[in-house]
Amino acid sequence: MSAAFDRQIRPVYDALDSNSNKSAVVACNKLLKKYPNIILLKALKALALVRQQKVEESLALCDEVFATKPTDDAVLTAMMHVLRGLGRQTDIITLFENAYKQQPQNGELAIHVFYANVRTGNWKAAQQIATKMAKQFQDDRFLYWSAVCSILQAKDPSTPATLKPVLLKLAHRMVTSSTVPSYHSADRLYVHLLILRDLEMYDDALTLLDSEIGKLICNTSLTVDEIRRDIKKLKGLVKEEGEVAQTRILEKKDRNWLEFLSVLDATFWDVTSVPEPTEEAREACKKHITQTQNLLQQVADLDGLKDRSGMLGLLELEKRARQHGFSTDASRTLSLAEKYFMHFGDKACAVEDLQPYIAFEGDDLAQWTSFLETNKSFTSASEVQRGINVFKLVRYNLLESELTPELESTRAAEYTAAYLECLPYGKSLPDTELQPADDLAILAGHAFVSAWTQSKDEAFLHSAVSILEYGSARSKQSYRIRLLLIRLYHLLGAPSLALEHYRLMNVKQVQTDTLSHLVLSRASTYSLSALGDITYMSECMESSQIYMNNSQETAEFIVKAFELQKYSQVSEFIEFEDRLDNSLQRDLMKLEHVRMRMAHEPVNADLVDMELIELKFIFDRVHYDNRDFDVTPNYQPRCSPSFSEQTLPFGKELSASAEWLSAFLKTYVKIFQQASDLTDTVEDKLLIGDRPKPSTAPENQVPLNDRLAKRSPEEAEKLTTEEQAFYEYTTALSTWLGPYHDYVRPPAAVLLAEAAKASEQLKSGHSPKPPSSPANGSSTNGNGHYKKDEEPPAVTEPPQILFKFFDDMKERFQAVVTTSHLPPALLHIATMTQEAFIVLDAETTRFKPAAVIKTNKFNALSSSFKELRTKASEVLKEFSAQLLQLAEQAATQETRKSFVESSKSIQISSGFDHDYVLNVAKKTTDARRDIYKGIGEGITKVLKTHS
Amino acid sequence: MSVLRPFRATDAFKFNNVNLDIWTETYGISFYLSYLSRWPDLCCTQEAPNGRMMGYVIGKAEGRETDHHGHVTALTVAPEYRRLSLARKMMGLLEHVSDHSYRGYFVDLYVRCTNVVAIGMYEELGYSVYRRVREYYGSLGLGRSGKDEEDAFDMRKPLSKDTGRRSIRANGREMIVSAHDVS
Repeated sequence: MSAAFDRQIRPVYDALDSNSNKSAVVACNKLLKKYPNIILLKALKALALVRQQKVEESLALCDEVFATKPTDDAVLTAMMHVLRGLGRQTDIITLFENAYKQQPQNGELAIHVFYANVRTGNWKAAQQIATKMAKQFQDDRFLYWSAVCSILQAKDPSTPATLKPVLLKLAHRMVTSSTVPSYHSADRLYVHLLILRDLEMYDDALTLLDSEIGKLICNTSLTVDEIRRDIKKLKGLVKEEGEVAQTRILEKKDRNWLEFLSVLDATFWDVTSVPEPTEEAREACKKHITQTQNLLQQVADLDGLKDRSGMLGLLELEKRARQHGFSTDASRTLSLAEKYFMHFGDKACAVEDLQPYIAFEGDDLAQWTSFLETNKSFTSASEVQRGINVFKLVRYNLLESELTPELESTRAAEYTAAYLECLPYGKSLPDTELQPADDLAILAGHAFVSAWTQSKDEAFLHSAVSILEYGSARSKQSYRIRLLLIRLYHLLGAPSLALEHYRLMNVKQVQTDTLSHLVLSRASTYSLSALGDITYMSECMESSQIYMNNSQETAEFIVKAFELQKYSQVSEFIEFEDRLDNSLQRDLMKLEHVRMRMAHEPVNADLVDMELIELKFIFDRVHYDNRDFDVTPNYQPRCSPSFSEQTLPFGKELSASAEWLSAFLKTYVKIFQQASDLTDTVEDKLLIGDRPKPSTAPENQVPLNDRLAKRSPEEAEKLTTEEQAFYEYTTALSTWLGPYHDYVRPPAAVLLAEAAKASEQLKSGHSPKPPSSPANGSSTNGNGHYKKDEEPPAVTEPPQILFKFFDDMKERFQAVVTTSHLPPALLHIATMTQEAFIVLDAETTRFKPAAVIKTNKFNALSSSFKELRTKASEVLKEFSAQLLQLAEQAATQETRKSFVESSKSIQISSGFDHDYVLNVAKKTTDARRDIYKGIGEGITKVLKTHS
Repeated sequence: MSVLRPFRATDAFKFNNVNLDIWTETYGISFYLSYLSRWPDLCCTQEAPNGRMMGYVIGKAEGRETDHHGHVTALTVAPEYRRLSLARKMMGLLEHVSDHSYRGYFVDLYVRCTNVVAIGMYEELGYSVYRRVREYYGSLGLGRSGKDEEDAFDMRKPLSKDTGRRSIRANGREMIVSAHDVS
């Protein structure tokens, strides 16, 4: 192209660079008048359009450019971005393939074909093109690309098992055919070793590793050293590895715990390597134990206070010796633990270091506890951590009989007193530092929660919140205190305070995947979206941003890892991408968002169609649970459930969320399927972009409708009682209405014709309709006027379970409200009942227009709906009234007073002022009032908007 | 006693106990992946035997000729695992790799001039101030120490290749440059 044209097109690029997409379109249009045949302009216009979400318009241009099979660099680059914007990754492959076919000598184009395949995880095709490139361009790099893709293909679950060794052998041939040996770089050596390991060619691998250069690489690359350890173990060279480790520990002063583990594994290898060790083997092992003991003792003496590896090695040795029946001295573990504590008892990690070894009982326990007690003192700043550790270690071994509410509250008072005593030690620290006494407040919180678990007396939770709030105010950066408060505020029915603490933790980026469960699991119970408050919905959206980033960015780094030949990272990045893409939390949030959205806005075709498509994709996913539950502290005794378990929202295990998700997905996919006009045929024709890769999981091979209908007791068990009832209710509802939906739904041909008409209008320049499917129900086309061959199905009575659901909910609500309870129990009943009402709305909208009723003789159906709706409204109105009444009673002088009274035990200690607790009481009771009021009013609103 | 192993992309799913600490920034995906796709051997983590993450270091190699060096971009240890010499071990690894694998002349790092504890630790490890960089960091909003809070010390430690120890100097604290002058 001419220099003049280059100058003219500059403004288009400038506009695109500055994200001024509208002006980019204007500039393109101007130039297109002058040069109507230059496809680069069309490609750039398509890019500007897709960036403005003008999908339909962009699509038309994109197809036009695509059909010309461009080879020009600038056009290809622009098209790559357009196709990516349209979610058509597979077409990017075709785009470059077409170009490469026309210019087979162009190595750059070949590389692009390769990268496009890598981005979509198309390992077979990527491997083929890389092999071809290796031959054609004589570059070693491509041999490794090919080998890595073969390995990845072998690992892919869709690859038949018989093909795996073939692929690995192919990879092996590639790597060994390179003119440069693999130890040329750490990452190439890594690939080579990986292949040899998986082909079980251990001797070849060891030859490489034992060479001078192999040793050097292991010395500077932890990744290669890791695979070296692996191979040695697989080869059974445990003893040799132990000797190497011993040298590293003694000569290089290496204190990597992996070396210590190697020594320990080697020590017991005589007895662990065979199913039934002989007497000789046991003798040999015994000798080895003594040697190792001497070695570890030597290390412990040498390191003193500098490093704890030697000391802990001795504890681990003793533990294993006991396991294998070698221990001669019954109290050795105890004396080692005591010694350890004397040395490292002032380190924060001393407790978790010791925990695996101190499950003492009887006399040992008594001795251990009294030893610890003599070491408890908080009289100087330097002793605080040691004193805290004593509390934690003693607490860890408490017996069940010692966990009565009385004893626990006495302990809580003791922890609180120690906390207040130690606070002054951290007084001069800046706000950015953690307070050394924090753990004492956390311990007090734990003891109160334990007392509550036993007694169900809410007063203990008030005390827990009070002491933890006090601690949080004094240690603003203590995220661990906040984690506990988040749980407790949910229990107490003060979700807004939980959210406040969560936000102060500044959770961001990938952390939203692992931590948003703290505030978003079953968040629709607390969401006031019905009243237009979209706090929780926005939280879901913001927390989901990371998944968008993942799909936009991560694949590029997989490409980068190939480009920069950091092969060790390729499968790591793939796993990372996969785990985020198929994150359980992602879809739990999605579903919560759907539930809140349905309370927020009227259920119309847009909502139904869009959510149907998304939820169907999700339903096929095999999920990874990335949620971080370990970050919440747990100082409860070993015989007791953890703090997390004790404070589970609705008493249901969060770890069972996969079953929960499955049940709710089945519910909603079914409901939307029925409410929507989008059948599979229509959806397939109208949907733009790539489909997710079909899942290879065997359970997903069953047809969708069969999978939706499948019910299992395990699944139901993971739901709360109310959710179970809801599940049964929706099942009955959709089973009942299924035939009527299927009869009235407009045929696919009609919908497709509508869509084609819309797209024609677009091409001829008319303003297009939004790219959704035609609306259902009450809109222009869906009135049931399509001639059907058969008669409409006869109307049947609604299943009684539908009415019973509302009666049961009413009964449960009354039962809960009249006994001692925490607010979430009531909120849960109310919101689940509200959800049942909304679902009823979604399921019946299609049958609302008078014409539909008349044509299909659905009068009886219509009156059944009315009857159901009246029933639901009655129950919900009553809930609403009662919740509003509770709201009025929630935040009064009396409730605040009783809150303060109930946390009296911690106020006995000096320094804990009454006003402080009063403030906590006010905040908590106010938050509780707000949620009762919000949910109560929300119900009234929903009854109006969804009728 | 801790396991020293490579830092991996998927560690981002388990670094909360380290990253929720105020001094540790959580970056976007591209930050971690761009380091790992270039210098995976300069990124490592320490793990407790029970699998909890204790801390990690993220580094890079940069510069040409006698400026070729290893750089510590992020070094962090979770609060409950401090005072265990973990930072020392991770720095040791980074120096070792910068020296023997990248053949760099020195290792450098930036630290807030107010972070006296860290500066003391680095000095103990053999680092010295090479220059002071004006307004390198954003304000912490504490207001107490003013300029010191935003200024950084560029601290360096020579490696075996720098036989003449030319990468360091005695009066580094007085050498002041602006943030624009450093990469």
